[in-house]
Amino acid sequence: MSTRKFSIFRYNPNTPEVKPFMQEYTIEEPPGMTIFVALNKIREELDPTLMFDFVCRAAICGSCAMVINGKPRLACKTLTGDLKGTVTLMPLPVFKLIGDLSVDTGTWFRHLSVKTKSWIHSSKEFDPNAIEDRMDNETALEIYEAERCIECGCCIAGCVTANIREDFLGAAGINRVARFMVDPRDERSKKEYFEVIGSDEGAFGCMGLMACDDNCPMQLPLQMQLSFVRRKMVSFGLSAK
Amino acid sequence: MLVQKILTRNPKAELYYDLVELFTGIALVGFLWTHMVFVATILLGSDLFNTLSKSLDDYYLSYVGIPIIVLIFLMHILSAGRRLPTRYQEQKIIWRHAKMLKGTDTWVWVFQTITGAAIFALASIHMFVVLTGWPITATTSAGRIEAFWWFYLVLLLLGEYHAGFGIYRQFVKWGWFPRKPLGYVSKVITVIILTLGLAALWVFLQLGGA
Amino acid sequence: MSNYTTIVSDVLVVGAGLAGERAAIEAASQGLDVIILSLVPPRRSHSTAAQGGCQASLGNCAMGSGDNTDVHFADTVKGSDWGCDQEVARLFVETAPKAVRQMSMWGVPWNRVVAGKKVLPDGREAEDPKEKEGLITARDFGGTAKWRTCYTSDGAGHTLQYAVDSVVIKLGITVHDRTEAISLIHDGENCLGVVARCLKTGELRIYLAKSTVIATGGYGRLYGASTNAVINEGNGMAIALNTGIVPLGNMEAVQFHPTGMVPVWILITEGARGDGGYLLDKNHHRFMPDYEPKKKELASRDVVSRRMIQHIRKGHGVDSPYGPHLWLDIRHLGAKHINTNLREIANICKNFNGIDPVNALIPVRPTQHYSMGGVRTNIDGYVYGLKGLFAVGEAACWDLHGFNRLGGNSLAETIVSGWIVGKKVAEYTLGAPELNHSYGLIQGFAKVQQERINNLIAGKQGKENVYSLRKEMEQTLMDYVGIFRNGPDLQKAVDNLRELYHRSLKIGLISNGKGANPELSTCLRMPGMLRLALCISYGALTRTESRGSHAREDFPKRDDVNWLKRTLAYWKEGSDLPDLQYEPVKITELPPGDRGYGEASASSAEGKKQN
Ligand SMILES: Cc1cc2nc3c(=O)[nH]c(=O)nc-3n(C[C@H](O)[C@H](O)[C@H](O)COP(=O)(O)OP(=O)(O)OC[C@H]3O[C@@H](n4cnc5c(N)ncnc54)[C@H](O)[C@@H]3O)c2cc1C
Ligand code: SF4
Ligand code: SF4
Ligand code: FES
Repeated sequence: MSTRKFSIFRYNPNTPEVKPFMQEYTIEEPPGMTIFVALNKIREELDPTLMFDFVCRAAICGSCAMVINGKPRLACKTLTGDLKGTVTLMPLPVFKLIGDLSVDTGTWFRHLSVKTKSWIHSSKEFDPNAIEDRMDNETALEIYEAERCIECGCCIAGCVTANIREDFLGAAGINRVARFMVDPRDERSKKEYFEVIGSDEGAFGCMGLMACDDNCPMQLPLQMQLSFVRRKMVSFGLSAK
Repeated sequence: MLVQKILTRNPKAELYYDLVELFTGIALVGFLWTHMVFVATILLGSDLFNTLSKSLDDYYLSYVGIPIIVLIFLMHILSAGRRLPTRYQEQKIIWRHAKMLKGTDTWVWVFQTITGAAIFALASIHMFVVLTGWPITATTSAGRIEAFWWFYLVLLLLGEYHAGFGIYRQFVKWGWFPRKPLGYVSKVITVIILTLGLAALWVFLQLGGA
Repeated sequence: MSNYTTIVSDVLVVGAGLAGERAAIEAASQGLDVIILSLVPPRRSHSTAAQGGCQASLGNCAMGSGDNTDVHFADTVKGSDWGCDQEVARLFVETAPKAVRQMSMWGVPWNRVVAGKKVLPDGREAEDPKEKEGLITARDFGGTAKWRTCYTSDGAGHTLQYAVDSVVIKLGITVHDRTEAISLIHDGENCLGVVARCLKTGELRIYLAKSTVIATGGYGRLYGASTNAVINEGNGMAIALNTGIVPLGNMEAVQFHPTGMVPVWILITEGARGDGGYLLDKNHHRFMPDYEPKKKELASRDVVSRRMIQHIRKGHGVDSPYGPHLWLDIRHLGAKHINTNLREIANICKNFNGIDPVNALIPVRPTQHYSMGGVRTNIDGYVYGLKGLFAVGEAACWDLHGFNRLGGNSLAETIVSGWIVGKKVAEYTLGAPELNHSYGLIQGFAKVQQERINNLIAGKQGKENVYSLRKEMEQTLMDYVGIFRNGPDLQKAVDNLRELYHRSLKIGLISNGKGANPELSTCLRMPGMLRLALCISYGALTRTESRGSHAREDFPKRDDVNWLKRTLAYWKEGSDLPDLQYEPVKITELPPGDRGYGEASASSAEGKKQN
């Protein structure tokens, strides 16, 4: 069986006296090995201290994003066979480092939801005995298209703006607002949306470099969503008093 | 910093900045390309070039146009430049980021800021020189270019680069075109303009030498 | 001296999946102060992985017309092989439609009815009438008489979790993610909270609350091949069992999903078969109609899984380095359908197997999927044995599922029981006395855990390697406590697991165990996991009948005379086997009878021949 060399970023903020360094490991590489399989193997056989995150291991939960050979990717769905040479693994930038490859995306994304007020704003009371409000199936599909974001952070890590501006909500944030804007159940006014995202923290902070569009593992149409929101924000901003 | 924060408290400030960046950018690209077309008339002969320059002068277009362009130029710098990382810390992050993450578009942007800054410097010099040597004729231009051909070559390349990709990014940002073909389109435009420009440069050099 | 951070709230919810968050919302909207703990950020909980959908008898779509709560009730009870609590099932089916509509208000973009004629994959025609257009639609799922499974393309769990979490955020409920409850705190009568370990820093903390809710999901990862997320290790059940007073119900009832993709065991949702996918053998023969002429690929999961293994055992499986498997064929559904309605499946096939289901067959085999058993509660979610302790979701044995859960009933359970139990939690908490208990008692629980950690780091008890123990446990369960079970194999499993359990008390760390050390986390969980494994296999060994997913080759018939009862497994301190007790199953409406599918059914192939 062939072998594969990994070069992995190591640093634990709890032991700051040990400076960050790259550590190398070599393991056997069976066909069809994913980075998920590889990292677990390294932890179980070579180095039980290695920190990284996986949950679903099926590209659904968004836990395992890391920088793999220079690109932010989901580790669970990256086959080592698709990579050339030594596999270099770095934690995602922007997010707070927990240790080695593990970063705190949870806190960041909760902040995003709070900032963009990511919930249905409705004045209706729930009536358990009434039938549901109708919705066009096309609309439902359109909402789902934006809702598919798994909060993995790849779009944020690859984004220059997010790297220099701490408060920038990134493609995930702008896409999130798009999700609510197309939802007829959300009663927010133009002005309210504008307040949420009509600034450099949101739509106007984006410089259109589209690293996000290249990196989204869910292949969300981010360029489309970003420009949709930007145009809406201009019209909301110019029309709202 | 606090002052700026308070000043930008106008909730729509950033919307306006963004629009100003867009429109001044488009205007500058328009200006650059017309400018290049005018300059390229030299290819059709010095007479045409001189007539054109003179008629612009006669109808006072130059006197109105140049200050407006200067104004637009400055506005563009202010609005687009607001994103420039001013602190050394931020600049370091960008370099590290661009090196660690292999995104071509990130490099495009890094070059965009560098070229932007360079154009600011070079174009100011160019303008100063032209204005002090008023009016524009084929002979004076040729003389200038012969002496400073490398200067103009650099300015030309920077300008075209900045304009080509600037417009590409605006189109992407506003979603007027899907992404991939647009990259191709803007490159094509850049090549055309560059060819025109280089040809003009060459003709001036010929004239100057003659 | 207290060196542990202590955090006090009214309600403590352990688990931020659908069930936990739904319950938390209910308590918080009564003005209670609620804290949720979770191993991972809420939106990464395993609930998000559910793709197929959620059952509720709305009866909106053409193929669901005529559906009502009674039909749903009958399907659920039959599915459970009469193992479920019928009062709970009744409450559940009555509430499910309301819960689904509530989710619609909270933002779930359920797929909707589109009026018009359509041809179903099997050639039948159906017409959705204009007056139903825009209402929530449903798809077909196994073991149901009507199309009843509401869905959002392929992301039902994802959209549900995001909607519920959005309400948690709206209400400002505190969530401490990357925090693992490692022990309950109790005084023998009342549950007082938990000792938790921070998975960012390794710090131990004490959480105290008037009521504690266990919503920690399933234990799939005890098995080597499971569709579950890697965090589904049954920790919540284990800490309840460790009290010695709280029983786990029906732990031997383990569901296998017919279509885990070989060799990564990622689930191919039942939606694939619901939408018309076939199962084929090595000769590309569609074999399910031979066994189940009526429900074919859509009999209940336990039946389909067993038929598949049966067929493989007859030599019709496709050989592979990972053992024999069968094929799932969805090619005839067409590229458009596959790439929209079943997009997630298409992605999974491409990313993890390099195949495109539009023109290739998917290799599948039955894979561990769901735990019917769990922390035993009454209909209000009160855990047996301790006051102030509740359980909901997959971690609980509310007992809606008996010995087999219907696909789509579990997401529905999380939002229904989360709602109902959440209300009861609020009610209890509002009436509960102020927290008042001995300081020493509480510190004592934390100190026990601290000591375990110190011993593991020092290697005081021994030098057993946690990873090899774990592998052996996984393999034992796979080999001897799988789809078909028998006395000798189960005995072997119990013996092996007992030995492993003793070894697990002698684990020593290889690394230094500093901070949020991942090896230490696994070591702390290991003995608890083995206890659960023993509850499963010992319960299975003792239950000498076949019921639902519990299929004994040596006792192939359901035995309602002796076994119409629920297993309750207790773990007495110092023991190495669970103490099994039993309680009767409540039958209120539907007496035990024929399921209408499966081996015992008159309508199955062999049965037919006989009449
Ligand atoms: C691949 C797959 C597909 C499925 N598809 C469907 C479907 O289509 N329809 C359907 O009805 N059902 C489906 N199910 C089943 C269903 O998804 C689950 O049963 C249900 O989501 C469980 O929800 P829960 O809230 O109980 O637990 P989970 O969502 O598993 O949440 C458990 C929570 O507890 C936390 N936790 C665990 N241990 C601790 C601890 N010690 N301390 C602190 N926190 C802890 C976790 O972090 C997590 O937040 C599927 C299951 C799988 C595996
Ligand atoms: S397009 Fe905008 S959001 Fe996307 S990477 Fe670029 S700056 Fe960031
Ligand atoms: S938009 Fe895409 S890349 Fe960004 S967080 Fe969501 S899924 Fe990840
Ligand atoms: S582990 Fe869930 S996306 Fe990779």
